[in-house]
Amino acid sequence: MRRINPSTGPSHHHAPKTAAKPRNWASTIKRIWMYLANRKGLLILVLFTVVASSAASLLGPYLLGVAIDDFIVAGNTSAMLTLLVSLIGVYVFQSVTVWLQSFWMIGIAQDTVNTMRNQLFEHLHKLPIKFFDHRQHGELMSRVTNDIENVSSTLNSSVIQIFSSLLMLAGTVAVMVWLSPLLTLLTLMIVPLMFAGMKWITNRTGRLFREQQRNLGELNGFMEETISGQRIVKTFSQEEKVLGHFVERSEKLKHSGYLAQAYSGFIPKLMNVLNNLSFAIIAGVGGILAFKGAISIGTIVIFTEYSRQFTRPLNDLSNQFNTLLSAVAGAERVFEILDEEEEEKDEKEAVGLASVEGRVSFDNVSFSYETGSNTIKNVSFQVNNGETVALVGPTGAGKTTIINLLSRFYEPDSGRILVDGQDTRNVTRASLRKNMGFVLQDSFLFEGSILENIRYGRLEATNAEVEEAAKLANAHSFIMKLPHAYDTVLNQDGGGISQGQRQLLSIARALLADPKILILDEATSSIDTITELKIQEALQRLMEGRTSFVIAHRLGTIRKADQILVLREGRIIERGTHESLMREEGFYYGLFNRQHAEGHLTG
Amino acid sequence: MKDMRKLSFFLKPYKLPIFVALFLMLFELAVELIQPLLMAKIIDEGILQNDLRVVYLWGSVLVGVSILAFIGGIVNSFAASHVSQGFGFDVRKSLFEKVQSFSFTNLDKLSASSLITRLTGDVTVLQNTVFMGLRIMMRAPLLVIGGTVMALLVDAKLAFILLITIPVLIYFLFWVMGRAGKLFKDVQSRLDAVNGIMRENLNGIRLIKAFIRRDFEITKFRNAADRLKNKTAASLRLIETTLPILLLVMNISVIVILWFGSKQIITGDIKVGEVVAIVNYVTRITASFSVFSWLIMALSRAGASAGRINEVFSTHIDLLDMVNADPATEIKAGRVEFCNVSFQYPAAENHVLNHVSFVAEPGETVAILGGTGSGKTTLFHLIPRLYDADGGKVLIDGTDVRQFKIETLRKQIGVVPQEAHLFTGTVRENIAWGKGEATDDEIVIAATDAQIHGMVEKLPGQYETIVGQKGVNLSGGQKQRLSIARALVRKPKILLLDDSTSALDANTETNLLQALEKYLCTTFIITQKISTAKAADLILLLDDGQLIAKGSHEELLRSEGLYQRIYKSQFREEAL
Repeated sequence: MRRINPSTGPSHHHAPKTAAKPRNWASTIKRIWMYLANRKGLLILVLFTVVASSAASLLGPYLLGVAIDDFIVAGNTSAMLTLLVSLIGVYVFQSVTVWLQSFWMIGIAQDTVNTMRNQLFEHLHKLPIKFFDHRQHGELMSRVTNDIENVSSTLNSSVIQIFSSLLMLAGTVAVMVWLSPLLTLLTLMIVPLMFAGMKWITNRTGRLFREQQRNLGELNGFMEETISGQRIVKTFSQEEKVLGHFVERSEKLKHSGYLAQAYSGFIPKLMNVLNNLSFAIIAGVGGILAFKGAISIGTIVIFTEYSRQFTRPLNDLSNQFNTLLSAVAGAERVFEILDEEEEEKDEKEAVGLASVEGRVSFDNVSFSYETGSNTIKNVSFQVNNGETVALVGPTGAGKTTIINLLSRFYEPDSGRILVDGQDTRNVTRASLRKNMGFVLQDSFLFEGSILENIRYGRLEATNAEVEEAAKLANAHSFIMKLPHAYDTVLNQDGGGISQGQRQLLSIARALLADPKILILDEATSSIDTITELKIQEALQRLMEGRTSFVIAHRLGTIRKADQILVLREGRIIERGTHESLMREEGFYYGLFNRQHAEGHLTG
Repeated sequence: MKDMRKLSFFLKPYKLPIFVALFLMLFELAVELIQPLLMAKIIDEGILQNDLRVVYLWGSVLVGVSILAFIGGIVNSFAASHVSQGFGFDVRKSLFEKVQSFSFTNLDKLSASSLITRLTGDVTVLQNTVFMGLRIMMRAPLLVIGGTVMALLVDAKLAFILLITIPVLIYFLFWVMGRAGKLFKDVQSRLDAVNGIMRENLNGIRLIKAFIRRDFEITKFRNAADRLKNKTAASLRLIETTLPILLLVMNISVIVILWFGSKQIITGDIKVGEVVAIVNYVTRITASFSVFSWLIMALSRAGASAGRINEVFSTHIDLLDMVNADPATEIKAGRVEFCNVSFQYPAAENHVLNHVSFVAEPGETVAILGGTGSGKTTLFHLIPRLYDADGGKVLIDGTDVRQFKIETLRKQIGVVPQEAHLFTGTVRENIAWGKGEATDDEIVIAATDAQIHGMVEKLPGQYETIVGQKGVNLSGGQKQRLSIARALVRKPKILLLDDSTSALDANTETNLLQALEKYLCTTFIITQKISTAKAADLILLLDDGQLIAKGSHEELLRSEGLYQRIYKSQFREEAL
């Protein structure tokens, strides 16, 4: 009986989600196979049960025929009972094997997809920051969701179907050759015809699906961006315009989807017509042969039955083809990310950086991003442990770049960065960052409770320690006002608490981490002055005994720094303490005075 | 099912192609049923009788009919594709339109990521279901019904067992369908969780790296992925039990028919050929029945998707134009008055704003100061009616904002939010985003005033440089200034700057505020800086939702304790 797998069904009936033609069939399939091969034992069991259930499904009708011919026609009911009992046995066996094969296969498929998903996720974490700076998240998301789902649904069903189809195909051809080699040859003649037709169709669908996929990606990217910015759309009352853009992209998708889906529906129709053609040919030629006595009439009758059975698995295989195509293309897109070069590995001789004192020096460091922006040139400076360094300068002067280099998110083009006299390139990134604490410009919080978010700084911290850190960061009082206090769950869209409160939490998080080197990148810029007043004291306490790098636009907050580095267009143009820089009456002096002009007048 | 029926409304415009597709499907079905007869004819009357002419004749009829069916199939393919793509497009569009009509409160409830999944994945599922429905879905049920009727016609007594097993099986299948539907909802929510972590990690990758929390995140992801895996496997396995059970029940029916059939043959109640025919029909029914379990799977998936889509459609939009809103009402002068305004977020326990009253005269600059969570941004949101006040009134030029058409109101208000969100597109498009018909001059002027013109000129493609997610990286300050230019180009009557200068250095900020002076609008600035507030005509000091003081800098400095403290914190040390 024809096995229709419920999870994808006769696949030609719905267009594959991602059917861009895979670029490298062989190697991609080989890679998928490597995943499956990890579950070789189970896979063998599955194949074994497929063989068993196929045999049972052939044996059933045969016994049925015997029952009808030998007993019913003969009217012999008493002997029939034994046969019927064994028939029941065969049927039960068939059902059990069918159930087992899908039970196991689902396990294999889900394990495989799970492995792939985890690998992908882990790999994403090994990629350099650079990779993320240049990717649209929607597009990446599509790979880790749609493409993996595609692989999943195909593995769930297609493997069994392909195997059983191949089995049926081989069996049928064998019997056909045994019946009549000449008629077999005639039947096989439709195969090239079939392939030609299929090629004609898949040539078109391949291109069309690629186009559809591109349009879909475009539309999804657009929606991702628009809906996450929906509040702006509303505020600007641009709903009509956004809708217009949406319709434009959606229409493109509709057009490409229309043809892609329509063409993909040709395949089963083609198979059907060829099937009938082959039957007519066999009947015609067979008739002539029988007329000449070269073949018996009974053979022709049986042969036509088998020739129908021969095209069915071919049909199924061709149906699987589209699904397979899309899954392979999906897998390829997943592998593409897995093949992305990882963040430069830590040098072989890289050692773990033990607890440091916190001396930092930049030795003639130069760097430029690929885009050519935010370049820094020949930057050198030294910071003793426990000192506070403030980086000052106009937007885009390279302040954040220096932080990026210090924490090794990027590698300098030339020059050296030393921590406690050790070149940071000779220590592992993890051990380096372990000694650093960050409060970044965007206070990024995770979906989860406030407790969990603060504990992110040090996973093994106790609740009391978390609370202590929150108190130091002056976050405790507002947390206690929330409906569930520390157990209040923050959602991803950041609802519930204000930007300033988010920043307080991220400061608490850094406090908990208790690092030797502290980086405050615009940490207080989104905190109001009143709160900042309160937190300054806590920050001072935190910075005590730690080497701190502070980027702040409010110059008032950095005047106590031991060293102020004034950057402009990637170079350090002035350095010194607040007092010395003010005496110099240079760039910093101007900057400071502009910011505090009114202060001087009224003061 | 109910959800799907609701959405079938979207099929209405496609009555003709649906009819064509269904007709052709029936035609194909008919041809398929005729084919065995033709083949039987070729074998019985042609080959068995050694009559080649009959073989040729009926052979050509067979080929001819199947070519007709082929053509019909292709036309069906186009018609079905037309309907399903059109349906998908329409649903997607209505859904997107609905989301566009969402108020802020609505948006607070349904997260962006979940809306996106509904617009993408769920619509696609339904679209494919429609395509499939027009091509094959009816076939299997029709074959099952037809087969049963034929068997009953042959011998009602013997085929009686079918009247028991088939309804039972159908009931069983629907039961599985119901359960699977629930399971797949779970699968979907677990998939959402997995994707949520993925999205979060993509967004927070820098922080995760900084805190070396890779392993922690990986464990978290693994757990979520495992949960997804287990649920997926469980639901697929449930679905996969249907086929073996179906086979077993139908096969046992055959045995029962054989057993009783053989008894009746002995008594002469039935002929051998009739038993064979009934058995034959049962095997055919079994074959089409097996498609059922797949159909059910597809339908339950579609049902779940339809439910999620309907949830969006049925969301009550709680902020609409008032019935009596006058389209002609426009902001003329820009006088803003808060009259005893209170506001509370739907889920919150406390009021965010409590009895706030003030007046901003046309052209004035109002600075709003206050601690974290004091209600400044909420106050902003009430002016363009992003939320409606719970108590009191917000008046513009003496008219309640609720009496304006929302669109007219918002078109005349420029908002620069705290977090700058840009859209993928050129710098020009992003600035003109707030005003489609903006001329090049207007764009350059807005950019110059927003202190971003110089930076834009330095970009590789100047105003044609692509920014946003797909484009070049801009710093926080650069994004803020683009977002300011976007508001300025609208030449708003009321300008709302929500701490929009936080990432700007002092120099740039001073220039920006100077440039703003030439705009004839009532300006509200949320700020932390006394220096900014000083220049304002009116300062509002908010604390915990209460307006604790209002007045000019000098007035507040004289009388207000908190203001004095803030002032001192910012200026004490410079007063050398």
